[in-house]
Amino acid sequence: MNKKTAAVIFPIFVVILASLFASKSPDTLETMAINYGFEGKAKEVISLFRDYSFPFIDNQFVSTFLAGITGLVFLFVLYRIMNRIVRCFGK
Amino acid sequence: MHIPDGFLNNNLAGVLLAGALGMLGYCFSKVFKAVTVFAGTSAGNNGNTNTRFNSFGFSKGVDKYFQKLAIIALWVFAFQMFNIPVQSATSVHLIGGVFAAVLIGPFLGFITISSVLVIQSLFSDGGIIALGANIFNMAFIGSFASYYIYKILSRNYYIAILLACFFSVLIASLSCLVELGISGTISFTTAFKDMMKLHLAAAFLETIITLILLKTFKNLIGDINE
Repeated sequence: MNKKTAAVIFPIFVVILASLFASKSPDTLETMAINYGFEGKAKEVISLFRDYSFPFIDNQFVSTFLAGITGLVFLFVLYRIMNRIVRCFGK
Repeated sequence: MHIPDGFLNNNLAGVLLAGALGMLGYCFSKVFKAVTVFAGTSAGNNGNTNTRFNSFGFSKGVDKYFQKLAIIALWVFAFQMFNIPVQSATSVHLIGGVFAAVLIGPFLGFITISSVLVIQSLFSDGGIIALGANIFNMAFIGSFASYYIYKILSRNYYIAILLACFFSVLIASLSCLVELGISGTISFTTAFKDMMKLHLAAAFLETIITLILLKTFKNLIGDINE
């Protein structure tokens, strides 16, 4: 396999692993918020992809995996846009 | 360590957001300069002067460079999704600042981690108003502090990475605590010990994952400037 292809497939593989095995425990800041009683201050943000999941997909693995892939696609598109802008400025 | 909306007061969050936007603008100007002026110091190649874009044409060179930047961002995003369980029902994840800064320098490292944080905020991983604070803690401190620690200690690669990871995670968590303290969400002095203790595990994992990612990146992609 081409090394560059492997470099692109690698994060997809990590997203699959994260969808299957990532811990659902609160992260460090959430733990602090729970222990010190300020977790209620967090404001709910309306998002289609809340907590790396699609609310309309029941299967948690599929939901998290698709949200992760969506994030990777968004990032890729963002870099394509930046690339285009820099090319335009460079000419 | 992503701060959600509501933890910080709006004034502080607004100032940090404005600062983050200003810093992003400055870093983008460095990138433009690096890719449009072939001579001189590049923003993102650790001080090497040859960006090598002119060796195979401007457009192709820029495209190749941005593909590599995108790969770094994709890797960081994927690994930030992977929460690893540690002590007492807590999980930690990679920040990725050291990984990005060592490969592409602090300015592009800042842009890379910021881009990941922007996309994550769409998944409500970190708030929209608190985005400035998250960019300051994870992208700015994660890239700049770690890069200069790494540069100072670069004689010994492993110690440099270890200390860059260790201090960047602890300084970022300290900065997060200061912001929460200023906002009146938590008492800085009361929470200091717990915050540091929780982030020791994060610093340890940051070191291991960063070393693995750097090795893998060099095997698959090679030098970022080639």
